[in-house]
Amino acid sequence: MAEAVLQLRNVTKTIGKRNIVDNLSFDIPAGEVFGFLGPNGAGKTTTIRMIVGLISMTKGEAIVKGVSVRQNFELAMTHIGAIVENPEMYKFLTGYQNLVHFARRHSGVTKARIDEVVKLLGLQNRIHEKVKRYSLGMRQRLGVAQAILHRPSLLILDEPTNGLDPAGIRELRDYLRKLTREEGLTVIVSSHLLSEMELMCDRVAIIQAGKLVDVRPLQGYKDEQGAKIVVEVGNLPAARELLAAVVGESKVSERGETLEVAADKSAIPELTRMLVGAGLEVYGIHAVQRSLEEQFLEITGGEMVV
Amino acid sequence: MKIYRRPRTWAMVGILILALALMSGVMKWDTSKRDHSDWKQDLTQQTVSMQNQLGKSSDADPDQRKWWTEQIKLNQYYLDHDLNPNVMTPWSYVNTSASLIILVTILTVIIAADMIAAEFSWGTIKLLLVGPASRTKVMLAKYIATMIFALLLLLVSFVVTFGIGAVLEGFNGLSLPHLAVGADGVVHEGSMIVNSLQKYGYGVVSLLMYVTMAFMISAAFRSSSMAIAFSLLFMLVGNTLSGILSGYQWVKYLLFSNIDLTQYLEGAHPLRPEMTLGFSIGMLAAYYIVFQLIAWLLFTRRDVAA
Repeated sequence: MAEAVLQLRNVTKTIGKRNIVDNLSFDIPAGEVFGFLGPNGAGKTTTIRMIVGLISMTKGEAIVKGVSVRQNFELAMTHIGAIVENPEMYKFLTGYQNLVHFARRHSGVTKARIDEVVKLLGLQNRIHEKVKRYSLGMRQRLGVAQAILHRPSLLILDEPTNGLDPAGIRELRDYLRKLTREEGLTVIVSSHLLSEMELMCDRVAIIQAGKLVDVRPLQGYKDEQGAKIVVEVGNLPAARELLAAVVGESKVSERGETLEVAADKSAIPELTRMLVGAGLEVYGIHAVQRSLEEQFLEITGGEMVV
Repeated sequence: MKIYRRPRTWAMVGILILALALMSGVMKWDTSKRDHSDWKQDLTQQTVSMQNQLGKSSDADPDQRKWWTEQIKLNQYYLDHDLNPNVMTPWSYVNTSASLIILVTILTVIIAADMIAAEFSWGTIKLLLVGPASRTKVMLAKYIATMIFALLLLLVSFVVTFGIGAVLEGFNGLSLPHLAVGADGVVHEGSMIVNSLQKYGYGVVSLLMYVTMAFMISAAFRSSSMAIAFSLLFMLVGNTLSGILSGYQWVKYLLFSNIDLTQYLEGAHPLRPEMTLGFSIGMLAAYYIVFQLIAWLLFTRRDVAA
């Protein structure tokens, strides 16, 4: 794993008697799109707000590139760009004026850099219009533009797909991929939209009721427990009998027009030969991973309410 | 940029200029209705009547007697030096505009009340605080920006009334001295500029206190409308309140009893006999420190959760 760009150590937030964030500790490696996943109320937004200093931590530390956010706020923030929920800009200023305003607090953001960022996010045609005329997608992009002006190592986006239509979501995903590739950014995205996360993230941390449940990579993950083979055949009952005899009754189940066999991908050639050898018509046979949704629901026990 | 790119701000400046123009117009119209060609005779008549008053009522209010004595001396000076006291010069307009500082105060209070609260109302506070500047720095920057605006309005006030005065009266009389009876009982010639600045100075003290109070309310309530309403409310009601309560000893510890420093000028009465200029300045300084402390604590220590 690459060196960690953000380290959370025992981050806790207590309100009244409850720990709404409870001893979170994990590392986020550089150069990845990292997801915070969890049901509503799990503490994802609170954690993000604590990392960027909007909410105070009851206990614990967040360390960005070796700098603690609590001890050295100003230095730590030079490494971070963030959008917390929807990015609100000054509506009476133009997009460009907004960027200039936010650029001023960082040293070393030149006019050339502002223009570069505007182009990167595709805003050059409308950048000199007042923000009140922008669509939500454009404001989202302007928010991202504002966050990356100072070339941070870490970009944090809290529920960035809120309110975006599918095209907008797709666009955002593409920009984020471009940013990780071209600017060498690490991106943290928090969301409860599993399908989106599946497409966007390299790795996710699953958070529930303020506690860390698991951290797992997404692409190329060998989910051994969930590995399945889906078989599409002409004669379902016969196939079922045949397969049950080979792998065991409990591992074969019917789902709609197909059969599901709990087995690894390596078993496919063998199973195919068997079915064909028995004279059955095989229309399709392939391995499936459990979707993130299934994994997630299983881990969190299907509980959505805190 | 955020202050000056709003049409509202320029509307305020416009209102100020309009008010000043109106005031000057009324002044001019008023003096032109009176006939001052016989000023020497007027002065002599005034002097005689005042000397009569002095002779008759030896047990009159000592301040009143003092005022008469001084006026007699001044009149004599005017006659001796052939100076017409009724001549309007640009300075006449500037001096009267000092009483319009209340308008400058109200306008600046509106801006100050919005400074912090509006960022919360707009939601832009999230972006503002997530940057490489400590909250203390952000607050300081906003305070200074507010004060610069106040200074700008004062400058506009001074320059515009001088300009209008010059247009209406021409540039004659610019070098006319300001006459006052000094502590030694002799009439002194002083500079009109200094005199105008002194009058402005007293107004500026109350401006400073009201604006700082509004800034604190802005930090406390995080709501524009609350902040503006409360600030204006205190401004208008405060003075009346301390007047009503002037029978009580402790009224001298209230902010509003001390905010008008002109009560210590010649010929005016302080609210309570035991109050002195030094005392008031001390009280004001104490209130100032408390206001800034409260604003700072509320701004830096509270979570931004919404």
